[in-house]
Amino acid sequence: MSVSDMNDTAFKYSATNGIQHEEALLFEHAHDAAESIHLPGVKGDMPNALAVFARQNPAGIPGLSEPETVRHFVRLSQWNHGIETGFYPLGSCTMKYNPRVNEQVARLPGLAHIHPDQPEETVQGALELLYEVQQWLGEVSGFPHVTLQPAAGAHGELTGLMMIRACLDARGETERRTVLVPDSAHGTNPASAALCGMHTVELKSGPDGRIDLDVLKAHLNDGTAALMMTNPNTAGAFESDVKEICQLVHDAGGLVYGDGANLNALVGVARPGDMGIDCLHINVHKTFATPHGGGGPGAGPVAVNETLAPYMPVPRIVKDADAYALQGNVGTSVGSVLGSIGQSGVYMRANAYISAFGREHLHKIAQDAVLNANYILHRLKDAYHVPFDGVCKHECLLTDEIQNRHGVKTLDIAKQLIDLGFHPMTVYFPLIVHGAMLIEPTETESRETLDNFCDAMLEIAAQCEAGDTDALHEAPVKPFRRRLDETQAARKPVLVWPA
Amino acid sequence: MRFLPHTDTDRSAMLESIGVSGIADLFSDIPDVFHLERGQLDIAEALSEAGIVRKFTKASEKNRNATNTRYFLGGGTYHHFVPAVVDYVISRGEFLTAYTPYQPEIAQGTLQALFEFQTMIARLTGMDVSNASMYEAATATAEAALMARRVSRKKRVVMAGSVNPRYRSVTANYLSRLDGEYEEVDMGCFGTDLDKVIAAIDAQTACVIVQYPDFYGSVYDLAPLREACDANQCLMVVAFSDVSAFALIESPGAMGADIAVGSGQSLGIPMAFGGPHLGLFTCKQKYLRQMPGRVCGLTKDADGKRGFVLTLSTREQHIRREKATSNICTNQGLMCTAAATYMTLMGDAGLSTVARHSAAALQLLVSQLPDHVTALEGAHYNETVLSFVDHQARQRFMAAAQADDIFAGIPLERFDVGQADLGEAGPSAENRHLLVATTEMIEEADIHDYLRVLEVSL
Repeated sequence: MSVSDMNDTAFKYSATNGIQHEEALLFEHAHDAAESIHLPGVKGDMPNALAVFARQNPAGIPGLSEPETVRHFVRLSQWNHGIETGFYPLGSCTMKYNPRVNEQVARLPGLAHIHPDQPEETVQGALELLYEVQQWLGEVSGFPHVTLQPAAGAHGELTGLMMIRACLDARGETERRTVLVPDSAHGTNPASAALCGMHTVELKSGPDGRIDLDVLKAHLNDGTAALMMTNPNTAGAFESDVKEICQLVHDAGGLVYGDGANLNALVGVARPGDMGIDCLHINVHKTFATPHGGGGPGAGPVAVNETLAPYMPVPRIVKDADAYALQGNVGTSVGSVLGSIGQSGVYMRANAYISAFGREHLHKIAQDAVLNANYILHRLKDAYHVPFDGVCKHECLLTDEIQNRHGVKTLDIAKQLIDLGFHPMTVYFPLIVHGAMLIEPTETESRETLDNFCDAMLEIAAQCEAGDTDALHEAPVKPFRRRLDETQAARKPVLVWPA
Repeated sequence: MRFLPHTDTDRSAMLESIGVSGIADLFSDIPDVFHLERGQLDIAEALSEAGIVRKFTKASEKNRNATNTRYFLGGGTYHHFVPAVVDYVISRGEFLTAYTPYQPEIAQGTLQALFEFQTMIARLTGMDVSNASMYEAATATAEAALMARRVSRKKRVVMAGSVNPRYRSVTANYLSRLDGEYEEVDMGCFGTDLDKVIAAIDAQTACVIVQYPDFYGSVYDLAPLREACDANQCLMVVAFSDVSAFALIESPGAMGADIAVGSGQSLGIPMAFGGPHLGLFTCKQKYLRQMPGRVCGLTKDADGKRGFVLTLSTREQHIRREKATSNICTNQGLMCTAAATYMTLMGDAGLSTVARHSAAALQLLVSQLPDHVTALEGAHYNETVLSFVDHQARQRFMAAAQADDIFAGIPLERFDVGQADLGEAGPSAENRHLLVATTEMIEEADIHDYLRVLEVSL
């Protein structure tokens, strides 16, 4: 057998089962707790004064030995798909490679093992790094001020709306409580507005998926507090009328909130702050490559212009001559939105990420991200329905309209991608098209990966055309669990293992 | 650029394939006026990987940290022991670099770990159910108040003044834009006076929020409060800041809490200068459908095999939008995996040792205080307030301690920061009080050093 006989196109894509272990729940590893871990400290009994409050029954935490614990969680990890395992083109989620050096530096003892309330002169290095990234985030987004306090994107939305509300109140405009939200917006937008004591009015998108100026004009009035806009929007299109849109809202007495979920399309190329937007939250775990951790942590800093600066939360990180300090009790501030200055460890990673690109290379993030999305769009546009024409930005939107004729839905396509070795795209979002498939490749994927993904998508489309659709409805069959019954989970919720 | 795989040849070929003449064509929908010049941004020049390590090492070395200083600091963040295995597990790329588990077939690892986390948190807090985390304790407390308003269909929230000032501040902030009264009950002491709290409850009260152990470390019986809540059909919300306590003292659930929220940072998560930490949210089963945040539930797959999914999503913002129970989307998922790993390693025995050592260290400290320094009376877990004769005495002591590699405590007035325009709360601190906390990381020798500095500095 020659080496050339051993070429196999199956290497291009397709998941395999490999050695994949079933793994019991911790609580099913039935043996008495291992010998207790050896712990430091003052070896005393429970103080007498506490004895009357002593816990009567042990909590029932299993207590496995160290080798068993490691094996348990390593096996669980092997059931997961992460960005380090393979392509992860979730639209509006910006799943890019998370540099390992960022993990290393964030774990330095002088950054990981410091208390938020130790004297400020003993944390100058940490404050310096936070202040630096705070300024950089402002520079990248085009705003003079940034608060690092919000813990995630939705928390940033709430914080931004609080500032907008405070600003309107200071103008005596306490009747302005309506937030206009395009129908393509993330669900967090209306939920954040409600939490801020405001109500939302949905703006129907125009035929090109963008904000329709006439619709906007018709909804602006004396009650308008703000427009929340995501730019590029969740259809992957840039709102080219952004300047006019902001002007219209400002003329009507409102402010413009920018949802920065899709900032990756603009990094180093253009800045929301230059476009008339008043404040913008940034999803650090998206644009600035901090790991998403299976659901978090994130960070949702909010960048603001001078209009909103007085209302920023406290404490704020400030630089006074050569010393850094935390500033509290600013009379006009909306107050605190978190019990600490923010998700410091996440910002350490973001600082390292921006440091790696520097001002010379930062624009390449957006350029390659947009190039990759357009490349995918170009390769798939004949086989899949493209609802909106034109170039896309960092993500492209397709629908299942063509495949639907063969009884195949977006969900089937997504699940078949799993068997082919890819994480599916975002499905059924945005809500403005039927059967949405939102694909965001990011800049950290190679042409080889993009081609393999497109080949897989084209193969699925060809299967549909050939009427060979049974496998699509069955998929996935390769992971160690197949489609899970979400209805049963919700009808009779079991959220804890019985004791 | 090492994070970008394309060569210029790749880029040209891809542009050609798309049918455009250059990258600028892909940005032509952005009006020219907004295009930045290259290198225009005021950001440092690019660093090599070695340069990044050098920069961060240099900055980190300016900070005093828990590897070279003894920490008697608490107030919501604690220096407990973090086993190496915890950091190893959460450094695995499959956990670290996964998204929220929207595609359960390829996220069973995250999901099972979340299910185990929820189970262990429910057991430790003595509550029926737990969600899959909130950001941290202060926002979790605010969300608890909002949830109690939904459950009770009443709007008035009563908050004990002995709850961590930051939890109070954030909760007051969240509630300030919504209808309904918010009342903070001044305790007039560094502790919890339940009679005063109970006196503030009326028929319109949606919930009363207390902290247990309270902000000052005091442990007390919640039974009278439970009775008062029942009499007024209001919910009892119990906040906590060091969850390790419940391996030693009776849990919020056993004390009758309807909702218990707080910090899980003590469960294997480093202090990290304020975050990322872990917000815990637990409640009684009957209130489940009003709980905020993600939850993981048990189910079966198409072949009947056991598996896990995110569930009850009809409460959440991506389905319910304006009517969602909360706007939370991203949570602290990785910290749940860290806490699950930590608890598995510890078990009941390890957790109770952590708690016993933490409490014993404080006991040893307060039992040998010199005459001119007083600690609070009554039962305390691992935190108390030391009061000095005056501000100068406290400052002298703190400086001397720091010179001896000891962070002796947090000046109480530091917690006033962040209360902008939200009203003053809590007793006047007169700036002579120190909030002091201990964990199992404090050794007997550290306590002796602390006491020695206390003697000589006054």
